[in-house]
Amino acid sequence: MPLASALYAQSGSVLHAYSSADIKKLDPAFYQNSVDIDVMNCLYSKLASYKPGREWDIELEAAEELEQIDDTHIRFKLKPGIMFSGGYGEMTAEDVKFSFERVLEHDSPVKSDWGPLQSVELDPEDKYAGTIVLEKAFQPLWSISIPYGVGFILSKKAVMEATGDGGDFGITPSAVSGPYMLEEWKPNQYTKLVRNPEYTGDLKPGYDEIRIMPMDDEKVAERAYEAGDLDYTQLTLSSLANYKANPPANTTIEEYPSLYYVWVGMNLENDTLKNENLRKAIQYAINVPQILDAAYFGEAAPSTGLIAPGLIGHRAQSIVPPEGNLDTARAYLEKAGGAPSQPITIDTLNATTWKTIAEVIQAQLGQIGIQVQVNVQDTGSFYTLGMESEGDRWKDMQLVINRFSMLPDPFYATSWFTTEQVGVWNWERFSNPEFDRLHQAALSEADAEKRAAMYHEMQDMMEESGAYRFLTHEGSPVMFRDDVETALRPDARPLYLGFKPA
Amino acid sequence: MVLGPRATPELIEQTRAAMGLDRPFALQMITFFGNLLRGDMGVDVFTGRSVTTTVMEALPYTLALITASILWAAAIGIPLGAYSSIRRNTWIDRVTGILSVGTISIPSFVMALYSVLIFAVWLRWLPAIGAGEGFGGQIVHLILPAFAVGVPWVGYIARIVRASMLEIMGESHVRMARAFGLTERRITRAYVLRIAVLPAVTLIGAGVAHLFSAAVFVEVIFARPGIGALIVSAVNERNYTIVLGAVLVTTAIIVLATLISDIIIAWLDPRQREGM
Repeated sequence: MPLASALYAQSGSVLHAYSSADIKKLDPAFYQNSVDIDVMNCLYSKLASYKPGREWDIELEAAEELEQIDDTHIRFKLKPGIMFSGGYGEMTAEDVKFSFERVLEHDSPVKSDWGPLQSVELDPEDKYAGTIVLEKAFQPLWSISIPYGVGFILSKKAVMEATGDGGDFGITPSAVSGPYMLEEWKPNQYTKLVRNPEYTGDLKPGYDEIRIMPMDDEKVAERAYEAGDLDYTQLTLSSLANYKANPPANTTIEEYPSLYYVWVGMNLENDTLKNENLRKAIQYAINVPQILDAAYFGEAAPSTGLIAPGLIGHRAQSIVPPEGNLDTARAYLEKAGGAPSQPITIDTLNATTWKTIAEVIQAQLGQIGIQVQVNVQDTGSFYTLGMESEGDRWKDMQLVINRFSMLPDPFYATSWFTTEQVGVWNWERFSNPEFDRLHQAALSEADAEKRAAMYHEMQDMMEESGAYRFLTHEGSPVMFRDDVETALRPDARPLYLGFKPA
Repeated sequence: MVLGPRATPELIEQTRAAMGLDRPFALQMITFFGNLLRGDMGVDVFTGRSVTTTVMEALPYTLALITASILWAAAIGIPLGAYSSIRRNTWIDRVTGILSVGTISIPSFVMALYSVLIFAVWLRWLPAIGAGEGFGGQIVHLILPAFAVGVPWVGYIARIVRASMLEIMGESHVRMARAFGLTERRITRAYVLRIAVLPAVTLIGAGVAHLFSAAVFVEVIFARPGIGALIVSAVNERNYTIVLGAVLVTTAIIVLATLISDIIIAWLDPRQREGM
């Protein structure tokens, strides 16, 4: 801790942690970002939650029993004695029903996380028990719905008192059931969580206070860590090699895979790129390891598709080898009738990593005679580039470098590339009825091997279309003090409930 | 964007209607300015909080930063410029000249980065991020950001005070004062410096816009709340109502600062008062 800050430091154990964004909502039915979830994990209980570690798994939290009876029925039984703060009483199955069904009733923007949820039926014999009823089988229920954002259980009485109709209560929780409670939120400064004195559960909060500090720039967080202002932070891949070589004192650095996926997309409806042979020439001319060396300092591995290692549906290898093949690229270009007479454009976000990727691709395509013009755009302009609702710019878009976030189920990735998403988030305008059918079928396929095969096939279809060149899933290195015992998801998202002094 | 990528078309339409975006542009503008007259700048589309509240929560941090920066810069720059003019063409004048031009040419964000590295990371004397709590904590957290924003202004103020003093020292009322046998110290303080700081006051008034720009970088580098940090994160998130509100308030403050600098000049210089 800096000398001057030590004079004003509070007593008790305090964890200072970095977050990439500020919280926006603490209402699970209307969550906006993953930082909201990080905080809500400390405030509310779920039937089951992600297990910290390197493998994706869940463990029971508020539920004593949680069992899939058949494809569309999941029975749960709550642990007795879980109390809501503020005198709102004990958690019952009625609260579970209210919390899950309000996501549908209030037309939440994240209601798709619940997929085909129909209702929650209460057990008339047992106030702690009930059954989640689905309209059809939905495998992401176990990887997203229950352990992530929409799975939090709220006090029906507290929410109804606060809102009147059970709708969005924004950023102020009226009752919590978790080991921590929100003491203070200072926008763009910090979110302060303290021990919930009314908590009656089994989990032991590791700290008297957790202070989560949002910063727009990860590099700022790295310097703040070195200055002693943070105990835990993510690292940028560009800093990783330096920190591994010269770690700050009393520091542990750990590397985790990330779920993000980065790719080069090609607009299938653009006049120039309608030529499949040209697209394939571009696919084979792009050398992914070269790009990763330049843009990620060699700290990221090539990806084989949308779905990251460790998740169902991850492909062992891509169809086009990561290094590409210039001879094959030239052969496809010859079949395409030669390089376009005008430079093709590549659109990218105005950030160092993306600009570097674009410039390397520009050089690589130059090797086979394709001239490329790099268009750098700010976020507001970039994120509406392929959207039909925002005008006709999508028609002129040719190549685009994109990066999407991901939740730990493959459906979350493939859902952006269906025909329904053309002109919304599917900027390549890839449309394949078989892909759409498999996407729907995989949602309810209970056999993990068959489900994985479906996602393999879907990623093959994407790559065979020539509209995609998958680049990387990046990585999620983190750095923390030796006296902090962390609890992280396999993609390094912090599960602050499990953080404790080492 | 506001509703996230998975919002249904129906929900998007509902939200557009709730935000008034389905109405003609002219009507949206009239509504906005009508609400503005009542101090209502709309609602943060992500958190649902009032934009006025969000902006007004951030504003004191930026005002404190700007005020602290300019105060310490003036406290150093004015005596430096005055001393330099009194010792014109000596080695002291030349050294202060080099230092002044040097500080002017260092951008605030460079100064911010190096001050973090030296005083926070290497020496660990001062905190690298945040705004602190309590009076003492807030002062401690203000030192480095105010230093970074203020450094270029030391040079600006010193150079303008020096030039202005040299000009005034050649004027007839100063020669008259010397002829009456007043000491140089009294002449400098009572007859020269009071007039010589007027251009510096004008410069500071007009420079508030630059101070806000510097605050944007410095607030991001020090992860300090404020209008600059608010605008940066709102732009990144495409939170347009916040951007609109923050820019509007910033513009109003810049206009107000220019007005205040004119009032100060009128107070310091009777000739200006008569002309008003």
